[in-house]
Amino acid sequence: MTTTELAEARERSTPPPGGDSAAGQRPAGLLRPFLWSFAAVVVLQMIGALAGLAPLLAVVELGRTLLSPGPIDHGHVRFTVLAGVVGLFVRLVCTAASSGIGHLLDVRVQLSFRRRLAARLGRAPIGWFSGRRTGELAKVVGEDVSAVHPFIAHTPGELVAAFVVPLVSLVYLFAVDWRLTLITLIPVVLAVALVPLMMIPARLREQQEFDGAMGRLSSAAVEFVQGIAVVKAFGGGERAHRRFRAAADDFVGVFYRWVRGVSAIAAGMQLALSPPFVLLVVLIGGAALITTGGMAPADLLPFLLLGLGLTAPVAALGHGFDDLQAARRAVGRIGDVLAVRPLPEPAHPAAPRGHRVELRGVHFGYEADHEVLRGIDLVLEPGTVTALVGPSGSGKSTLVQLLPRFFDPTRGSVTLGGVDLRELGSRRLHRMVSFVFQDVRLLRASVADNIALAVPHADLDDVVRAAWQANIHDRILQLPRGYATVIGEEAGLSGGEAQRISLARALLADAPVVVLDEATAFADPQTERAVRRTLAALKGDRTIVVIAHRLETVADADLVVMLDNGSIVERGEPAELLARGGRFAAFWQAHRSALRPLLADETTPHGGVSQGDESR
Amino acid sequence: MIGMLLRVLGHQYARPVRRTLALMTTTAVAEGLSYALLVPVLRALLGSTPEDAWPWLIAFGAAVAVYAVLRYVSDLSGFRVGTTLLRGMYHRLGDHLARLPLGWYGTDRVGEVSVLAGRGLLQAMSVIAHLLAPFVSACVTPLTIVVVMFAFDARMGLAALAAVPVVAGLWRWTGRSMAAADAERAERDREATGRVIEYLQAQPVLRAGGRTAERFGLLDDALHGLQRASRRTVLSALPGVVGLTLTVQAMFTVLLILGAYLALGGAIGTAEVLAILVLAARCADPLLSLSDIGGRLRGARAELARLDALLRTEPLPQAREPIQPAGHDVELASVTFRHGGRTVLDDVSLSVPAGQRLAVVGPSGAGKSTLLQLLARFHDVEAGAVRVGGVDVRAISTEALMAQIAIVFQDVYLFDGTIEENVRLGRPDADEAQVRAVAAAARLDEVIERLPGGWATNVGEGGALLSGGERQRVSIARALLKNAPVVLLDEVTSALDPVNEAAVHEGIERLMAGRTVVMVAHRMRTVQHADRVVFVDGGRIVEEGTHDELLRRGGRYADFWSVSPASAAGE
Repeated sequence: MTTTELAEARERSTPPPGGDSAAGQRPAGLLRPFLWSFAAVVVLQMIGALAGLAPLLAVVELGRTLLSPGPIDHGHVRFTVLAGVVGLFVRLVCTAASSGIGHLLDVRVQLSFRRRLAARLGRAPIGWFSGRRTGELAKVVGEDVSAVHPFIAHTPGELVAAFVVPLVSLVYLFAVDWRLTLITLIPVVLAVALVPLMMIPARLREQQEFDGAMGRLSSAAVEFVQGIAVVKAFGGGERAHRRFRAAADDFVGVFYRWVRGVSAIAAGMQLALSPPFVLLVVLIGGAALITTGGMAPADLLPFLLLGLGLTAPVAALGHGFDDLQAARRAVGRIGDVLAVRPLPEPAHPAAPRGHRVELRGVHFGYEADHEVLRGIDLVLEPGTVTALVGPSGSGKSTLVQLLPRFFDPTRGSVTLGGVDLRELGSRRLHRMVSFVFQDVRLLRASVADNIALAVPHADLDDVVRAAWQANIHDRILQLPRGYATVIGEEAGLSGGEAQRISLARALLADAPVVVLDEATAFADPQTERAVRRTLAALKGDRTIVVIAHRLETVADADLVVMLDNGSIVERGEPAELLARGGRFAAFWQAHRSALRPLLADETTPHGGVSQGDESR
Repeated sequence: MIGMLLRVLGHQYARPVRRTLALMTTTAVAEGLSYALLVPVLRALLGSTPEDAWPWLIAFGAAVAVYAVLRYVSDLSGFRVGTTLLRGMYHRLGDHLARLPLGWYGTDRVGEVSVLAGRGLLQAMSVIAHLLAPFVSACVTPLTIVVVMFAFDARMGLAALAAVPVVAGLWRWTGRSMAAADAERAERDREATGRVIEYLQAQPVLRAGGRTAERFGLLDDALHGLQRASRRTVLSALPGVVGLTLTVQAMFTVLLILGAYLALGGAIGTAEVLAILVLAARCADPLLSLSDIGGRLRGARAELARLDALLRTEPLPQAREPIQPAGHDVELASVTFRHGGRTVLDDVSLSVPAGQRLAVVGPSGAGKSTLLQLLARFHDVEAGAVRVGGVDVRAISTEALMAQIAIVFQDVYLFDGTIEENVRLGRPDADEAQVRAVAAAARLDEVIERLPGGWATNVGEGGALLSGGERQRVSIARALLKNAPVVLLDEVTSALDPVNEAAVHEGIERLMAGRTVVMVAHRMRTVQHADRVVFVDGGRIVEEGTHDELLRRGGRYADFWSVSPASAAGE
């Protein structure tokens, strides 16, 4: 099996795309492998919580023995005390083990969640990203996964303890005295009665607003730091950027509303469950029963000791309530990201023959009602350079982005070597098509790794050769640790240098289809030279598409394609097109006249494009 | 911890915080003292005359009422103070970030600050609203109860008291031993956040390179590192938790055994023993919750420490008696500047008279952009002086300096908002006609006409929804609107295609007219109109003169010129 096939096989093993693929990706589904650990956490917690009752019961039994008339049975007292001590020890061991296992489990689950999220995001259509903010997505992978912590590490055990312990205590207390049991439950009933107030629609809406405001604040913070230079230049000195402040004010406002709504209720709940109040209720009830002769004095003890135990888990639930709500909402957001449909992978990937690229009747729009490409028919032959020209907004960048399948066309097809891109496995596609200069991003990694991005196991010799061809080798040698220098940590590179690294990437990737956006290739003379050298080096059997801005590039191309408003308006050899005097010639004239004011000092204007000086 | 909290909050908030703390402590003491009344109540109820319990019960009821009022008030006060603080802190953090020198902002800061300014600050602040009250109550109430025990039986009280130093010692030890693991974890967390942001922003490149999540080792390593650090945190927390539980339970065990022994010997009344054991149970629960609260407090403490470090980073010093610059000339006098252990500029001197244009030319990494940044005081110089209008920039207030200068960068950063908002950033109080006029001058009007949303079109995060040329036009309009006498241009047109460049150039010409200009340029043709050209390499000025002079000299500049397309392509 090739790696591609392995990847496809794994892809199939998860529910097939389409239909209800989201179901298998719900966060709960990801917990299945950890089921046994969960069971251990719950069982240990339960045993520990029940064993915790033993010392309290020992005090009760001690009281009964001491208060009973007649001589005291010393042996019974000793046994009672011993039972209490053993119970304490069991509780210690079990709760510690449960908590330890729970937290370690949490750590593993978080890694698994983050990996799944990263994998999903790595396959989501690029278009999906443009509608979202980096800060919010990063928050899902980081903070939201961390926020699931109480669900994993605390809730399962504590929930069980919160139900089992009061249940057992309740049965025991009922057996002792049912009237006082009901009285003891008064604080719990009071507290529980307040819970629905926290769940009314207004509260839930406030919580959603809270999350929204927090997301906006995070985005504003990212933006604030990235745009700090602009803030400094325009923000009027000491004043922080308005948007950050606005987002912060907005957030604090939402937070205040939320807290104001919740805090009075929460304080009331806390008060109802507080030990002094519970003890007061139990003592008043007990005193009434004892003074009227309805209950033996010794029977008051279990209520004083276990009665508080009835409220403690409810209090714990109330205490962790905020966290649980936050966790629930975080899980919702994680689920949303996991439910994003990737561009579908073919079930049976086809093998392309050659690397001829063909676009047939391609239509595409980022939004349903606005087409950016309107019926493109274009063949890119191996061994040729095709130059795309046209005014900005004509669809050039969109067109080339279809080749590495950042998007699928809405109608029509793009084929590579006779195979529709949708029938091609993504790994194979990425090996065949390399893309240069689309928004150069260098990773915080060594220079060598940055160059070898597409060829992770490349020889350093090959990396150096690519760097040399891209005219960046000398500059790399000047860096503190040469090719091992970590960009962004040990050294920064200028825009032009980053572009040359990107060129070296493409040279090393050695893909048969190369897409090059020349628009940003003007950073400095060295980079311009590097582009020219690269194009010359790449030629041969490759299929090359260039979004061309320079006269030399257009003049050198085998085919010039003129785009306007999403359609091809002219195509042909450059000289032929100029001679035809059509749209391309007119566009080029406009270009040249636009440039003229800049060139006023030029004393030796040349004739036509085809004579662009190449002899330098 | 409290000290750090007060420092982070700033002195104006110290008083409300102290008041809230005092309220919390009083509440906890009231709770502990109210339990003292349990002993006489139980003595009566378990004795032969249960009716005697009623007066004591009424007293206990009154004590509980006092406790309830105190607690309710302190809870609400905590929430209120916390919220007020939160707003103040966000503003303080924002203002501080804006004052930090630009050199402070590295690539990893985005992740760190986004966490800090988002949930991080909230988590740090939640110490007050959520954790401080339980913490104070978990410490103070048991102590008060131990005192109460003493009052009734010194032997039992002594046994309970023995646990206090052990618990305190364990608490300190756990805190110290966790600090390293916590710091490591926070570090890994920051690393992972940075990698996630990088991974998201570099998606197109990574896809083109065939790197999806499984094959992007840097991210997976970071996530794995975070997992290992978290694991270590869990494991190093365990001894503390177990030790605390063990101590508290040992105390209860000792009291149980001692109580049984004393009662059997008749040395103490049965009711007293039982009441004290009930009190001991009251002691144990809050103490056991200490380990849980401890974990949460440490989480908040780590955030607090990071916030503290950030707020203690020194911004550039402000002049005590700022001087208003009189003219619009700019000057660098023997300026040396180091950054990251490297000398970026080495004894550079130049001056630009008001209304003149200086072009700065040189290879990548020569220090050209730094030179511009020093003029706008993004950093302070190591030696020498930067002067605007004859005044050292360190003696000018930030507002006054920024009012003098308009900057256009190569990488235009737009804020996520409408085009209009981004233009208005130049002068928020500009009227409609002024905004339209600069848009026309920057040829932004034709862009706006083309866009479906017009002026209200959203530009996306960083301006991603606009093309490079369109972004640049917005930035020029912004600078035109600002109408500052000194203009700094940093490779403004180098990333543009010819048509956009021509359009932008018109705007730039209008921006430069009659102003003092320093421009960094790669595109040699924009340099020709400058009154003077300096050629910078390796942090030094190697050639200086007019364009023609330098060409005739046949030195480095002439060399550079010969490979530039403007000279040779000869369009």
